[in-house]
Amino acid sequence: MLVDFRPHTRLRGLREPVDFGATLGPVVSALTDECADLARVRVVADWVQYRANFRDPVSVRPVVADPGLDADPEDLELALDVRRCHGLGAEELRGLARTAIRGSDHVPLEGWGRTARSCIWDFNALYWQALDLWEQATGRTYEQALPGGESDARNRAGARELINELFAAWDRLAERNALPTELYVVELGVGNGSQARVFLDEFVAADAEHGREYYRRLHYLMCDYSGYVLELARKTVAEHDQHVSSFVLDATSPRTALGFLKYKVFLVYVSNVYDNLPTDEVAQLGGRTYGVQSRACLPRATVDELAAATATTPDRVPALVAKLLRLGPALLAEAAPDHFGGVDDVVAFWQRTWAALRLEERYVPLAGLDLHPVAPGISGESLRPLLEAGADVRMHVSNGAAASFVDTLTLLHPFGSLVCHDLFVTDVAAYRTRFAGPGKYDGSVVNWVNGTLLAHLGRRRGFDVHFAPFAHRDGTNIVTLTAHVRD
Amino acid sequence: MLLPTTVVGSWPVPEWLERLKTDHHRGRISRTQLDDVHETAIKAALKDQELAGVDIVSDGELRRDNDVDHFLARMPGVVLPLPVKEFYYDYHTVTLPAPLPPVDGPTLGLADDFAFTRAHTDRPIKFSFTGPFSLAQRVVEHPYADRAELVVAIAAVLHAEAVALAARGATHLQIDEPYLAGHPQAIAEAVAAVNVVVEGVAVRWGLHVCYGNRYARPSWEGHYDFLFPAVLDARVDELVLEFGRKGDEDLPVLAHGGWDRDVGLGVIDVKDPDVESPQTVANRIRRALDLVPAERLVVNPDCGLRNLPAANARAKLAAMVAGAAAVRDTLAAPAPVPDRPAVVAAAG
Repeated sequence: MLVDFRPHTRLRGLREPVDFGATLGPVVSALTDECADLARVRVVADWVQYRANFRDPVSVRPVVADPGLDADPEDLELALDVRRCHGLGAEELRGLARTAIRGSDHVPLEGWGRTARSCIWDFNALYWQALDLWEQATGRTYEQALPGGESDARNRAGARELINELFAAWDRLAERNALPTELYVVELGVGNGSQARVFLDEFVAADAEHGREYYRRLHYLMCDYSGYVLELARKTVAEHDQHVSSFVLDATSPRTALGFLKYKVFLVYVSNVYDNLPTDEVAQLGGRTYGVQSRACLPRATVDELAAATATTPDRVPALVAKLLRLGPALLAEAAPDHFGGVDDVVAFWQRTWAALRLEERYVPLAGLDLHPVAPGISGESLRPLLEAGADVRMHVSNGAAASFVDTLTLLHPFGSLVCHDLFVTDVAAYRTRFAGPGKYDGSVVNWVNGTLLAHLGRRRGFDVHFAPFAHRDGTNIVTLTAHVRD
Repeated sequence: MLLPTTVVGSWPVPEWLERLKTDHHRGRISRTQLDDVHETAIKAALKDQELAGVDIVSDGELRRDNDVDHFLARMPGVVLPLPVKEFYYDYHTVTLPAPLPPVDGPTLGLADDFAFTRAHTDRPIKFSFTGPFSLAQRVVEHPYADRAELVVAIAAVLHAEAVALAARGATHLQIDEPYLAGHPQAIAEAVAAVNVVVEGVAVRWGLHVCYGNRYARPSWEGHYDFLFPAVLDARVDELVLEFGRKGDEDLPVLAHGGWDRDVGLGVIDVKDPDVESPQTVANRIRRALDLVPAERLVVNPDCGLRNLPAANARAKLAAMVAGAAAVRDTLAAPAPVPDRPAVVAAAG
């Protein structure tokens, strides 16, 4: 049996160090009772830092020899959330482990498949599309739900730094008579427009000092997935409306709306978008590469409760959830009056479902990385150097972030740069010591982004990619990625 | 033949070949095995070009990690502080602690590369190599008073290669200057170095200038007017330029600049995997014919094909060949003319 305990720092030095022995003992006892061949068992312990997440304290991930066949029950990984197991009694832990090994009493909402295609991303999309309803129900804005209470984007010093770099590049081009007539800046994931407002206000001030009248030539393109958010943002930057355009777009493929800007954009600014885009996970275990498949499910008790609340039977709850994701709260309230008294009831159903949502996982061997593209046009071979860099590892593919990042690079002018603030894992080894998601932030999904992969993809496309701690706020996990053309 | 078709040089590098090249740098496969892989890949690339109907083929530059290292890393006196690469396509950091030693014959092995290709196709071959100006830009430390002196010193090394190539039967040689568009003020210096390379080598010489194709991105933007009038002094037969991606607004620059020699007309955008139709290619050629007579036009992609998927590259070349054929069919047969002599004198 292999025991992989990842959050080493929790074992000592804290006010209340984790007594992993107390957790492991009952679990091993359950495994001994339930599994014939313990040599084929891995125990993996993570500290799941997200209060809201998709895991039970103890869960099982079968290792499937052939995706077409059922799992061999003897080949499995038993996953522990150390944070929640800590403090549970031995008998309770033993019971949770036994239940997990025998099969948890979950009701699946979908079949097994790549996590990036799970319905959790439909929930995520629904959150952004119906954000106004969610905010009304919770009584707080999504920005208030962020850990620091506000986005890292509202930062004048950071904006001024970017603007100075832009001015320097434009001055160099102007000296060579190569400065384009129109100077494009793109912001992906514009939020409520605060960042755009700060940037544009600072730009005007800096331009007045610099004296080259770059503001006259500036086009600031605000892009967001949510039309509701974009409308808020437009109001925020109303004073600059002659220089601002807005686009509703999917951040994973910015060129669908911005293709006309290929090689023309001087700055693409992205803040806290990548961590909210769909991702798969892959694992290298014992010299073999696996894809992590998942399926969203609900505990049976929750399904019973939801059925009672919506005057239906438990077996119809999955269909009702699917309908919610397809129609959204407003339309579902109209389409299913027998189940919901109004939109508020649907939002309550949505929030209760979301809170209880779990992801079951299993490992399926990959036949070849080239057959599993990270995103359209990005071969799975890009993962190879990371997977083969050392010991066993499980890591995010960050499909959505990779697609967005690579697509965005094609927009950049040879003198352009991409600046992105987000939760990045900047070293593959970090995946062996920390839990990087998924978790839940309010109604959305959050994952740390595989920064090592993005750096690799960027370098393979001729960009220097650097990471640095976010310079303008202390105590944040946010990292700044910067990419610019090399050679 | 009117409107002959050719390539600029490089051929797509498939993922599996990238892996093997990188594996070699990491010590996982030997030089012997990698050479065998390269030769197999070159034969396949030649066959692909022949099947596409390309008239003048190349070895696809498949032995080369990129457009620089194959030349600089082999030059006597060059030092690579870090000889191992993370990824084969990366550039080596190149330093030159002392001036390049006096040139005493070829040292880079290009003639052997050519001879292998010659042995595996009956078609005319274009053999290209990166020019002295661009190579010099990649040397981070050197002992020369200025970079211009280094350019000339490298040109002397390349001249010896050119002599050897001609002696082994090369008839079409092309100098690539992918860095020149980023240093337009240095055009005279670059042309002077080109003339050192071609001096006395009696082949058909091409000079390729583009806006960069590293990682399928342009490295610079601008217009070809920077080439003139300096490029008129280059003792080459043909300018090979990109028009497919940028459009043909720069074509009049050639006429206004007084260029009266051949033009390698880029009609295929190598930075876009979408395959042009033969009709598009034909239209591009016809527009060029308004400014350049057919007997002075050679049809080629904008640049090397290395960043394209192989299937797209094959399809693009087939479209290029079909487009050129369609235009050729509409042109009146020219009066027979004697073979044009090479511009430069025969090698002594």
